Amino acid sequence: MKRTLPQSLALYAGLAVIVLLIGLPFWWVMSGSIKLPREIISRVPTMVPQSFTLQHFEKLLQSTDFPAYLVNSLLVALFSTVFTIALALPTAYAFFRMKFPGRAALYRLILVAYAFPTVVVLIPIYGLFARFGLIDTRASLVIVNIAFALPFSIWMMRSFLASVPRDIEEAAIVDGAPPRVILLRIMAPLIAPGIASVAIFTFIASWTEYLFASVLIVSDARRTIPVGFAGIIGQYQIDWGLLLAGATLATIPVVILFAFVGRWFVTGLTEGAVK
Amino acid sequence: MAGLSLQGVKKRFGHTEVITGVDLSIADGEFVVFVGPSGCGKSTLLRMIAGLETVSDGRIEIGGRDVTNADPAKRGIAMVFQTYALYPHMSVAANMGFPLEMAGLPQPEIDAKVAEAAKILHLEPFLKRKPRELSGGQRQRVAIGRAIVRKPDVFLFDEPLSNLDAELRVQMRIEIARLHQQLKSTMIYVTHDQVEAMTLASRIVVLKAGRIEQVGAPLDLYENPDNMFVAGFIGSPRMNFVPVTVVSQGDGFAVVAAAEVGLREVSVAVRGEPPVVGTRGVLGVRPEHFASGGDACFEGTVSVVERLGGLTYVHASLSDKSALTVESRDPRGFDLGTTRRFAFDPRRAFLFDGTGQRL
Amino acid sequence: MTNPRLALLFVAPALLFLIAVLGWPLVQAVILSFQNVGVIGTEGEWIGFDNYAAVLGGSNFWRALGRSLLWVVANAIVQTAVALGVALILHQKFPGVRVARTWIILTWIVPTVVVVIIWRWLLSTSGGMVNPLLIQAGIIQRPIGFFATRESAMTTLVLINSWRWFPFVALMMLAGLTRIPSDLYEAARIDGATAWKRFTRITWPLLQPTLMMLGVVGTLLSFNVFDVIWLLTAGGPSQATQTLPVLIYETAFKGYRLSEAATVSVLTSLLLMGFALLATRAMTASEEAR
Repeated sequence: MKRTLPQSLALYAGLAVIVLLIGLPFWWVMSGSIKLPREIISRVPTMVPQSFTLQHFEKLLQSTDFPAYLVNSLLVALFSTVFTIALALPTAYAFFRMKFPGRAALYRLILVAYAFPTVVVLIPIYGLFARFGLIDTRASLVIVNIAFALPFSIWMMRSFLASVPRDIEEAAIVDGAPPRVILLRIMAPLIAPGIASVAIFTFIASWTEYLFASVLIVSDARRTIPVGFAGIIGQYQIDWGLLLAGATLATIPVVILFAFVGRWFVTGLTEGAVK
Repeated sequence: MAGLSLQGVKKRFGHTEVITGVDLSIADGEFVVFVGPSGCGKSTLLRMIAGLETVSDGRIEIGGRDVTNADPAKRGIAMVFQTYALYPHMSVAANMGFPLEMAGLPQPEIDAKVAEAAKILHLEPFLKRKPRELSGGQRQRVAIGRAIVRKPDVFLFDEPLSNLDAELRVQMRIEIARLHQQLKSTMIYVTHDQVEAMTLASRIVVLKAGRIEQVGAPLDLYENPDNMFVAGFIGSPRMNFVPVTVVSQGDGFAVVAAAEVGLREVSVAVRGEPPVVGTRGVLGVRPEHFASGGDACFEGTVSVVERLGGLTYVHASLSDKSALTVESRDPRGFDLGTTRRFAFDPRRAFLFDGTGQRL
Repeated sequence: MTNPRLALLFVAPALLFLIAVLGWPLVQAVILSFQNVGVIGTEGEWIGFDNYAAVLGGSNFWRALGRSLLWVVANAIVQTAVALGVALILHQKFPGVRVARTWIILTWIVPTVVVVIIWRWLLSTSGGMVNPLLIQAGIIQRPIGFFATRESAMTTLVLINSWRWFPFVALMMLAGLTRIPSDLYEAARIDGATAWKRFTRITWPLLQPTLMMLGVVGTLLSFNVFDVIWLLTAGGPSQATQTLPVLIYETAFKGYRLSEAATVSVLTSLLLMGFALLATRAMTASEEAR
């Protein structure tokens, strides 16, 4: 279809607005993180940095626990992701490729879990974890993150599993492959994009989780970025340079991850949603 | 290698019975083709033999061993699917080696067997490729290769050629026939295409609505069908069916007539007890058994003429509204709209009773 | 494949996990709401429906509920409007459309705390970019504190939360748009329909199922938003932005009234479940009517 000139103008104007709306705040933050303090709080803001310094990053990495937060967040997010996939894959496979009594009811139950306000279980989970000595452990965050990511992950794998022809599975059965082998050697490679979607979803959800991390973790050294960083906001006389440097560092890992699997994630998100 | 037997095999989905009791025994080395229209249960029956569908009732034996509830992999079968069902993420060699790998064979042995199968199927140049880099015919050969590497007792084919274009289908048909001669294993082949059935089978099983209508060698079914369904299904174009009345009878024959379509008294052979005079029946005549001359004939109006070069098919309508297809070697002399006589060979005609059973 | 035992074996780990980490605590929350536990870890005694009477009889719950409803509706309106525009743009063909479709979600994948820092800084009166820009544009005379007054705090929070979520909503809408067969548009062009007509007569009606689905999911998601509000205003000024999740958190972890917080939690859950039930029923009904 050919666009008329006004239509083209409208399209590109709209695109420009989107780019500015999303890109500009990030640009300001990232460029701000390398400006000298007096430029950051200058009355006349600068679009392009007039000064250059790494002092904010130095301070962040040397005099705060930020490096520890970064490591904690990475550990929590990675473990949450691995375990979520390990649990979601067989479950989704059973739900969408096998027949068993109570399947529909169980599936609905899992979807309900997805709709629940997380804050509701915060209080009892604290009590439960206290009893098992899980308070102030990174494992407690992994457990919680898995529980919240699992329902959505199962749901997201649905359309990917549905797209694998049944014949292929049956061929594997006739070829003598046991269910575990069918799942890992045949299905898993075929729904790799779906697994990537689930992985990135869980990683991001864990990376950004604040509520439970703020309650279940007590000691500073075990905090994740969202909570530790929020602490930094309060700890110091507002030091914007420090916070902008932190925001930049907290953004980079997900951006790197997204650069590799982002395309699949967006497909997975949208495919699962509509079907 | 082994024979196979089905005893009172039934399949129910909920309350509907899709296989209503099948008894069949297949000898070692036979090439048996299941044919029937879609929904007749032929694929379900094959999948029950494969173990991909549970058996609701009855018993399946392969090589004298009861496998009714056995795992598909433990039945000594291999299957070729309509969609080929190749593993898209594996190379041709890995696809063909997969069943051997599952059986726990050491890699050198797998490689040797895959190479052997690839040689038989002319797949050697493609072993490193992925299925999507192959043509339809090549994919089909890989699927067959994956089946033959296991040296199964029984090969199962589920409409393996229906995804191929016409030319390739003929080629692959010949290749499968050659393979059967070479391997001499038992093969069971499902198709809805009666040409495939006729050309490949040592025995054909005609199915309809979950029941066996007739079992026999291809020419047996052609020359001696048990009922109108088999008569109509085997042979192309379809047999013509014209309602007639029995006017007299004797030992081994009946004389029938249908004045409204121009059929005067004609004597037709019957197999058993001749029918009672005055009963209605159906006369079946194959298009290829029309020939000029003779007294036995129908009168019809030419409506469509298909000239294929060597053969000509004339479609005519009779005065009782039934349609007639006539094969002729001579393309001339069939003018549209003209009414004329179509003579046939009464010795090749069949008589069916009101329920469609052969008399 | 039919093998119930095997299927249950596959489902069991995830199911047991969810029961232990979500199901059991949910039961605990209900139990807690009938007791009078204060600080976490202390014992309480059964007091029947006293908590419910107190919560429903007081004004905190109702005010927070009102703010939550306002929050949900305002977010829905802003996000739907912006996201629909964005989705329509991303549905076009232009160089770089794939990149745009992927990276638009950037605001959603960064930690909330980053979103919070971005906007606290941009909106701050010292060094923030927004105030000077607004002054330059002549919209305001002197810098304003966006979180200072009750109305502006709520409005600002809605806008920031919408900034975080609109790309997500837009992608969902885009998925709905791509499901509309393109030959419908071609047929409409041949029939002489203008761009506006094509939108109102094809796009809009055929997008309804997607919008309905988003309405349900989006309501549940934005109802549960906690961290943006907590980190930016902590429910203030003077409770102006204290939605139900914030109220529950404050009651439990700042006010040390666990049972009361559990009671509010249970009421909130009942509310959301009722909504989800009604909404899914309405959705199936309208699907059947189609």
